[in-house]
Amino acid sequence: MIRRVDYLDNRELWKLLDIDLEKHDEFLAPLPQGITELFLNRPNRPQAMSYFDMVVGDVHGIRVKELYEKKQQGAKVFATFCVYVPEEIIAAAGSVCIGLCAGAQFTVPTGEKVLPRNLCPLIKSTLGFKLDRICPYFQVSDWVIGETTCDGKKKAWEILNEHIPTYVMELPQRKADKDIRLWEEEVREFAAFIEKETGVTLTPKALKDSVQKINNKRRALQRLADLRKHNPSPIHGLDVLLINQLSFFDDPERFATQVNALCDELDERVNHGIGVTREDAPRILLTGTPQPLPNWKIHALIEQAGAVVVGEETCTGERYFKDLTQEADTMNEMLSNIAKRPMQVNCACFTPNTGRLEDIIRMKENLKADAVIDFNLQFCQPYGVESHSVSKELEKRGIPYLHLESDFSDEDQGQLLTRIEALLEMVQS
Amino acid sequence: MIKAGLDLGSVNTKLVAYDGDERVYSKVVPSRFDSVGAGKNLLSLWQNSGNVSTYDLVVTGYGRVSFPVGKVFTEITCQARGCHEYFPEMPLILDVGGQDAKVIRKNGLGKVTQFVMNDKCAAGTGRFLDVILKGLELTQEELVMAAEAKPMTINSMCTVFAESEVINLLAKGAPKPEVVAGIFRSTAKRLARFVESLSQPNYLIFAGGGAHYKLLVKFLEQELKAEIVIPEEPELTVAIGAALLA
Repeated sequence: MIRRVDYLDNRELWKLLDIDLEKHDEFLAPLPQGITELFLNRPNRPQAMSYFDMVVGDVHGIRVKELYEKKQQGAKVFATFCVYVPEEIIAAAGSVCIGLCAGAQFTVPTGEKVLPRNLCPLIKSTLGFKLDRICPYFQVSDWVIGETTCDGKKKAWEILNEHIPTYVMELPQRKADKDIRLWEEEVREFAAFIEKETGVTLTPKALKDSVQKINNKRRALQRLADLRKHNPSPIHGLDVLLINQLSFFDDPERFATQVNALCDELDERVNHGIGVTREDAPRILLTGTPQPLPNWKIHALIEQAGAVVVGEETCTGERYFKDLTQEADTMNEMLSNIAKRPMQVNCACFTPNTGRLEDIIRMKENLKADAVIDFNLQFCQPYGVESHSVSKELEKRGIPYLHLESDFSDEDQGQLLTRIEALLEMVQS
Repeated sequence: MIKAGLDLGSVNTKLVAYDGDERVYSKVVPSRFDSVGAGKNLLSLWQNSGNVSTYDLVVTGYGRVSFPVGKVFTEITCQARGCHEYFPEMPLILDVGGQDAKVIRKNGLGKVTQFVMNDKCAAGTGRFLDVILKGLELTQEELVMAAEAKPMTINSMCTVFAESEVINLLAKGAPKPEVVAGIFRSTAKRLARFVESLSQPNYLIFAGGGAHYKLLVKFLEQELKAEIVIPEEPELTVAIGAALLA
């Protein structure tokens, strides 16, 4: 178990990490109430959520302290923003891979000091977190590992690099053989970079262990995702979203154990027909852009309107864990398999990206969703444009759907709720 | 049983009541930033006037969430139901209200099958036209002239930018009726593309307060190359739909 650290410890730690304490206090102030209202006060939550509640309740404390201690023992911390970055390689070197927060309106205005206003809020929030010095994960990180998923991120790395060393992996835009070769080359180069930075030579045994470890985390998340197909759903979508978000931060082994413990409890619920909603509550599949921590807006509104979110075809959902890295024995084969896995992930940054439509339909069927909500963050070009093909496909199949666009601010909650309620009235009538 | 529909809109609050098939009450009052208060007053006004005691009520519109009584439906579902009463055979509705614009498709039963709404911005809404037209202080004569005028090109659709573009044009000596015609045409263009993002219609039901702008209807017909039908009281169809759902 994680050692609990008290508030004073946290402040000392934050000071060591050069956090802007005043601003950080301001940022964290509304969080306890938000977490209480959105999560803790909800009825029917599984007992095993208590672990995740504790992690998010002290999100800038316990885990940061762990990372700080690991660094003192010689490990490095690599921060990522994308499910394509191969975390197995980082873990094999005894270092830590974390996916950073990028979902707060609070840091967007600072991001806009160096970025255009009409840019994806995720990128603006990211830059804002670093410039404001209020994210201890950013502060404890040695490197950011960027990728070329979209133009906004690609160019923002150049600015971020002025504030923290940023390594960029070139992700291809198509999935032909030559593209996969390019990505494999990128993965091999990345492995060499990690060896150089950490001073650790990767061994086949270490990499094999690490592939297994990360696969186990993915398996646990797959198991959790599959339990949501039951009606009534044994767990709120909002709780699963939180778990998916925390999967980027937590220690992979401990996290998998906790997710599996939760799944054991959910198995029991399913056996006894216990759920978190009535059986006739509309079941919603969400597809589109990620919802990075602490962005819970869309899930909260959907479930506030009386529906239950049963799946996320997003990077803070299915895309992160649906594919495993095939296990192997030699270094060469393992690196090749590590490169192959993400090539099955269907992000809108690829063209064509028909695989995503198949994923949406498969999930809709498996999870018995009544409707699909296609959500994209404002100014996200790849997902914004792709919503056209998503709507065409859903229309063709007679699946009720709604396209929503929003950012991390709270001001449009009323308008979003009206749309969501109208969709629910559509499927209920 | 008496059925009532209360539409708590951002600009106006509307109440409609039916006794069987017969409409027994309808009234529109300004919301004045308190649609819930306006709705309560409207209900008691009606009850006192007609000795009404029991009735089924559906509440809709943006104030619906905070209204203490009644069953709740969104204005989207109510608009489809209300328009269906007038035009059961036509599937597509454009609703230009005070705060937003929507395109709704309904089926043969008056139920919503698809809809789109404008993003968080006043462009293409009743508010956009109100703000710009109020600033121009038009006389009745100028409005009549605008109907015949050659519309000028207005490029901005943002309420703030469009207003300054209009001020610029007038400062350069552009005739007011031509500018006004231009405002309606550019709004119609935007709304037409909005409608077409859902469907290419032959017929379009136009509802909401925005349907009262005759010039907007004219330009919209030109842009869409479709026939536009307008319910008798286009600002009331949501409340009518609510009453019918009660």
